[in-house]
Amino acid sequence: MVIKYRLSVLALSLLSSVYAFAGKPEFELTIRQHLFEPSIIVIPANTKIKLWVHNEDATPEEFESYELNREKVILGGQRSVIFIGPLPPGEYPFFGEFNPKSAQGKIIVE
Amino acid sequence: MSSLRRFLLVSVLSALMLVNFIAALHGYRSSMVEAENLFDQKLTAMAVQLSSVPLRTTNNAPAPDDENMVFQLFNQDGKLVWHSVHAPDQYIAANEGFSENNFNGYRWRTLSYFNFVNGHRIMIAERVDLRYQLAESVILQSIVPVVLVLPVAGLLIWLIIGHGLKSLAILAGILRRKAADDLSAVDVGHAPDELMPVIDSVNSLLRRLTASFDRERRFSADAAHELRTPISAIKMHLHNLRDEYGKDDESLLNLDRDVDRLAHLVEQMLLLHRTTPDHYPAKFEPISLAALTREIIADRYTDFVSKDQSIELFGDDGEVNGDRFALGILIQNLLNNAYKYTQQGGAIQVKIDTLKNAVRLMVIDNGPGISAEAQARVFERFYRVGGDRHSSGVSGCGLGLSIVEHIAELHNARISMANGEDNTGLVVSVEFPLATSTIELKRSITLTGYGERK
Amino acid sequence: MLLTSVIIVIREVLEAALLVSILLSLCFQLGIERSWFKWGLLGGIAGSIGLGSQLGYISNWFDGVGQEVIDAGLQIFIYICLLYICVQFINHFYKRHPLTNVLRATLIIIISCAMTREGSEIYIYLSAFQSLPETGVSLYSGSAIGLGIGFSCCALFYYWLLSFSPSRALLVSCALLTMVASGMMLQAGKMLIQADLLPDGQLWDSNSLLPEDGLTGQLLYALAGYEATPAPAQLIMYSLSAACMATVMLLRYNSWRKQKVAEEIS
Repeated sequence: MVIKYRLSVLALSLLSSVYAFAGKPEFELTIRQHLFEPSIIVIPANTKIKLWVHNEDATPEEFESYELNREKVILGGQRSVIFIGPLPPGEYPFFGEFNPKSAQGKIIVE
Repeated sequence: MSSLRRFLLVSVLSALMLVNFIAALHGYRSSMVEAENLFDQKLTAMAVQLSSVPLRTTNNAPAPDDENMVFQLFNQDGKLVWHSVHAPDQYIAANEGFSENNFNGYRWRTLSYFNFVNGHRIMIAERVDLRYQLAESVILQSIVPVVLVLPVAGLLIWLIIGHGLKSLAILAGILRRKAADDLSAVDVGHAPDELMPVIDSVNSLLRRLTASFDRERRFSADAAHELRTPISAIKMHLHNLRDEYGKDDESLLNLDRDVDRLAHLVEQMLLLHRTTPDHYPAKFEPISLAALTREIIADRYTDFVSKDQSIELFGDDGEVNGDRFALGILIQNLLNNAYKYTQQGGAIQVKIDTLKNAVRLMVIDNGPGISAEAQARVFERFYRVGGDRHSSGVSGCGLGLSIVEHIAELHNARISMANGEDNTGLVVSVEFPLATSTIELKRSITLTGYGERK
Repeated sequence: MLLTSVIIVIREVLEAALLVSILLSLCFQLGIERSWFKWGLLGGIAGSIGLGSQLGYISNWFDGVGQEVIDAGLQIFIYICLLYICVQFINHFYKRHPLTNVLRATLIIIISCAMTREGSEIYIYLSAFQSLPETGVSLYSGSAIGLGIGFSCCALFYYWLLSFSPSRALLVSCALLTMVASGMMLQAGKMLIQADLLPDGQLWDSNSLLPEDGLTGQLLYALAGYEATPAPAQLIMYSLSAACMATVMLLRYNSWRKQKVAEEIS
C-alpha cells in the first residue's frame, strides 16, 4: 500500500517538475583547480533554482552541503545539475567533499 | 562464536583499532590546528616586519616572491605602493585580520594588518593548499606507524591468545586421543586456575568410573571363585546320588551335564579375569609355537578321534616371546572351537608361518564358518553365534574367544578372522610380533601412555 | 587529505557494514547458514566498480539527475528486500527450515546493493586521487583508518548482538533493521528532492545539538539515517516506511503467536 502511495507521489512530482521546468532561474558554478568559481552565489529567496555545476578539473568532486542537504558526485570534465530551494533568506555554505580545504563556497539567499 | 580464539582476536583487535584510530585522529586534528596557528604566527610576524619597511618612493619595483606567498603594501592614503610580483591589483583580503580568499586560481590564507605607527596597511597571503600539505606531511609521520603496526598487533594478539588457550588445547587433545577404555587421570601440567575445575571434575569422573569398573570385574571374579566350592560339593553329592539311584537315571544324567557346564563356566570366568592384560603376571620367555601346539594336540587327540576329525600341524617352528601358560590356553581355546563347531569327519589344520616381522598361527577348519556380522561380535563376552540355540547343539559359555583376545592383547598380537577357501570353513589367524619388536612395542606403548599423562 | 579520506570511507563503510553485521548475527542466532555473505561481498565489489566507472554515463540519464534516481531506486529496493527478509526471519524463528533459494538470493542482493551504493563513491574517490604523488600516503592511511574504524564498530556490534538470547536478538535486530531500512527511505527522499522529484523544505535544524558531520552524527546517520535538517517529504517517507515495516512484522508475529497458542490448546 505504502509502495503504491510512494509511486503515485513519484509520478505526480515527475509531472509537476516537467511543467515547472521552464520557469526556474539558472546559475552557473565552475570547479577549477579544486576551487569553486564563483565562491559566493546570490540567489532569490523562496524560489527553486537550477544550479549548473561544471567540473573543469580532471579529478572528480562531490558537491556537498549539510545546510542545503545536497550531495552529488561530479566527475572530472562533467556538467551536472543540482536543484536548490525554495529557501528562506540566509547563508548556506557548501564544499567539495573530496577537497574540503580549498573547495569552499556559500550560497546567499536574499 | 564458533571459535574462541577467533572471537578473542577479532574483538580485542577491533577494540584496540577503534581506540587507537580515534586517538590518532584526535591527535591529527589538534596537531593540524596547532600547525595552522604556527603558520598564522609566522604570517603575522612577516606582516609586522613588512609594514614597518620605510617607503622612499611611491614607485617601488615589485618585490620578487615565490608563488606561495604574496603581499600588498598600502600607504597612509590607502594607495598600493608596493607589492610582490604575483599579487593582483585589487585587494587580496576582504576583512581585517585573518580570512580565506580565492584569487590567482588558488585559495589563500590572508592577513590584513594595519600598522598604527606609520599608518601603513599590509595585506599578506599564503596558499592554503601548500600550508595544509606541509602540515600534513609532518603530522603523517606520527599517524602512519599507528596504522602500520596493526597487522603486527594482530599477529601478536593471535599468538598470545593461542598461548593463553594452550592448556585448553592440550586438554582437548588428550580427551580426543584418549582410548575408550583408558580411564587414567588427565594431567595438563601447569593448568590455569580457570581450567582447574574442569580438569578436576573430569578426573573425579574418571576415578569413579574406574572404581565402578573394578568393582564390576572383581565382583564377577569373586562370585565365580565363591561358586567353586559349592559346585564341587554338588558334584560330590551327585556322585553319591548316582550310586544310590543307579547310573542310568535320565534326570541325574542331565543334572550331571548341567553341573559340568556350570563348573566350566565358572572356570572360564576365572580364567578371563586372570588373563586381563592389566593384572596378568606374565613371564615372557622364548617359546616354540609348533612344540606347544604339538603338546596340546597330543593331549586332546582322543577328542578329535572320537569325532572322526583329521588334525594336522605344519609350517615353521615359530618362535615367539610369550607366556607359556597363556599361550597354551590361547591355542587350546582355538583348537577347542574348531573341534566343537566342525562337523563329524571334518578336517582341522594348524599352520605356522614366519612373516617379515611377525609369526602367524592359523587354525583352519572346514566347518560351517561364521557370517561377517557375527565375526565382528564373537569376541564379546557371553556372545555365541546364534545365541543359545546354536546350530551345532554344542554347549559353551561364549567366553573362549574373549580369553583369546585378552591373551593376544597381552602379547601385542593381532587376531583376524576370515572365511576359508571356497567360502567354506573358518580361518582364525593370530599374528605375534617378532621377539625383538615385542619389547620395542611394549616400551613404545608405555612411553606414549606416559607422555600423555605428563 | 587524511581526514577527508577518513570521513569519506567511514561514511560509506559504516552504513553497509552495520547492515551486514545485523544480518550475519541474526542468521547465526536463527541457525541459518551464512554462505550468502561471500557472494554478496563479491557482488558488492563488482557493483561498486561497475557503478563507479559508469557514473558519468548514468548521471546524464533523466535530464542530468540519473545519479539521484539510481541511488533512490537502490535504497527503495533495499527497503523492500529488508521488509521481506524481516518477515522471513520471524517465520524462521517460529519454524526452522533450511535456507530457501529466494531468501538466499534476497540476502545476496541486499548486501550487493548496499555495498554498491556505498562502494562506488569510495571507488571514484580512490581511483581519481591515488595517482597524485602528493596524496598517496595520506590517502591510503586515511582510508585504512576509516576502514578500520568502520570495521571495528561493526565487529563489536556483531558480537554484542550475538550476546543476546535468540528471541531477544530477533526483537533487537528487527527494530534495528526497521531503523536502517527507514533511514534508507529517508536518504532516498533526499535524493528525490535533490532531483526535484519531491518538494524541498526544512522542518528543523539540529546541527547545533548534534552535528551531522561528527562521529556520533555519522554513526546515527548510518544506523537511523540521522539528518540535521530534514525536509517534510523526507520525514513523511521515514515515518510511513517505519510504520509499514513495524506493522507488517507485528502482524506476522501475532499470527505466529496465535498459531502457537492454538497448538498448545489442541
